[in-house]
Amino acid sequence: MTDDVAVAAPPDSAPRHLAPGDVGLVAPRDFVYTQPFAFKSGQTLPGFTLRYETYGQLNATRDNAVLICHALSGDHHCAGWHSPADKKPGWWNNLIGPGKAVDTRRFFVVCANVLGGCQGSTGPSSLDPETGRPYGVTFPFATIRDMVRAQKLLLDHLGVSQLHCVIGGSMGGMQALLFGIKYPQFVRRVLAMATTARESAQAIAFNEVGRQAIMQDPAWNAGDYPKDGGPRVGLAIARMMAHITYVSDASMDRKFGRRKKETASSAAYNFDIQFEVESYLRHQGQSFINRFDANSYLYITRALDQFDLAQTYGSLEAAFAPVEAETLVVGFTSDWLFPPEQNRDLALAMLRAGKRASYAELATDLGHDSFLLESEELYALVRGFLERDQPYTFDFAI
Amino acid sequence: MSQLVAKRTVDMQIIGDWVEPNSRVLDLGCGEGALLDYLVQSKQVSAVGVDLDFTRITACVRRGLTAYQGDMTAFLRSFPDKHFDRVICSRTAHELDDPAAVILEALRVGRALTVGFVNHGFWKNRLNMLLHGQKIRNEVYKTEWFQSRPANPVSVADFERFCAAKQIRIARRAHLAGNWRTPCRSFPNLLAGFALYDLAR
Repeated sequence: MTDDVAVAAPPDSAPRHLAPGDVGLVAPRDFVYTQPFAFKSGQTLPGFTLRYETYGQLNATRDNAVLICHALSGDHHCAGWHSPADKKPGWWNNLIGPGKAVDTRRFFVVCANVLGGCQGSTGPSSLDPETGRPYGVTFPFATIRDMVRAQKLLLDHLGVSQLHCVIGGSMGGMQALLFGIKYPQFVRRVLAMATTARESAQAIAFNEVGRQAIMQDPAWNAGDYPKDGGPRVGLAIARMMAHITYVSDASMDRKFGRRKKETASSAAYNFDIQFEVESYLRHQGQSFINRFDANSYLYITRALDQFDLAQTYGSLEAAFAPVEAETLVVGFTSDWLFPPEQNRDLALAMLRAGKRASYAELATDLGHDSFLLESEELYALVRGFLERDQPYTFDFAI
Repeated sequence: MSQLVAKRTVDMQIIGDWVEPNSRVLDLGCGEGALLDYLVQSKQVSAVGVDLDFTRITACVRRGLTAYQGDMTAFLRSFPDKHFDRVICSRTAHELDDPAAVILEALRVGRALTVGFVNHGFWKNRLNMLLHGQKIRNEVYKTEWFQSRPANPVSVADFERFCAAKQIRIARRAHLAGNWRTPCRSFPNLLAGFALYDLAR
């Protein structure tokens, strides 16, 4: 997921957090689980913390909750603003808010930073209570299933009796699917976008290049580095490369083309920044290292690579056999990381398993990150899935 | 109710009569899901629709229907034999690129197949061509040739000949007169405005 958040233009320079349809100022909270937590790998933690945000109110029957699952580099801050001075709102602010597609007047929206992450939830950069130092690579291997189980514990803690819907794009989509599989009675709807039942060799390959960039940086030091230190060069390169996989040839061409940087030296025969796209990618890399932990990047990309529903359950149909939720899968035509075919296959396998699963495909040229797109068509689909129309009446009186 | 709305719903009733309650139904070219919605409500079927258009899929999802956006031939190929109790192809067959392939695939994945189409051999259509020598335009054929998608002008006789050639069993047929309401009992290729077939292998 890129850092380019869709921000609506402020009307008459009014504070953006007060704009109609915005959830406004929000603050994260911490859920501290104090019992031992066993990972799928067999490793355990004595407990963990998940940082999360909620918007809207849980209803009396405690069943209007919508869980938002974030992608690789996302976090719990998916809507609203932490302070009026923020440059950007939460990463899915265009979708979530009062009157928006995920309407916080109707739904209690929950979003948590995943286990293994680095935005406040327990992960490799957290301190190991036994040593007083960051876990680093001694942190247990976290899988998508572990992330899902931890979030279920959070929802139980919040008193949610049933999820109205679980929504996610990319890695968030994997979590959404697994929620439907692991907790069939608990999940009424699954909305998975730009996702896959398992990564292709190409997607694993990109993740591996990112990991190698980190691990080949001497500052990585086998995962043992101080907070605010570490493989900054390697992590920035990993991010620069990954960023390219989230967009598309067409969208990069539209945004940058071959435009030269104004400050570029007139002599073309050197390796300074010459093209705007170079400058943009370097900026993306630099801003990423200030907010993301390199070991978390290793762990989460590994979790993505290992996710394989067909292999885990024998077949995709077997994987989806327990699902009770109504499912909607959305693919995007220009997504070449988790392409439409892989999304379509999810819906087809569910249908073969006799489940209710719809598939919609939006024509965009923005690549994998299209799920974050400002699109009235996408909003109408999401809203339609979450808020059913009243049944139509048929009148055959002629 | 206008004449046109009546025409739009009358085949729904006949198709509905042929659908078994609580069965598994697939609608090829489901549009905004009106027929499936009716079948879900009247026959409690478990329904799936296929259409090519995002907005129509959205309309289906809003109705609480299961709908798949994509090519119907590829969709059919992804299912095992007899997965559906009934496949419906209503007012879609004449616009297909390869109608025979779709119909045969539908008969593989479905235990039964309902095909409904406007009879191009209807006498008014013949007369129109004889008198005017122009593409028919009326409340059924609403657009000029240059505003229309390519369509095969299929007739009752054409369709029956196709079924015979492919050894498709016609379990039931319903021919409706020009008003699409009154049953048409004789000379259907000349006198029927709309035809419905219930097929099996």
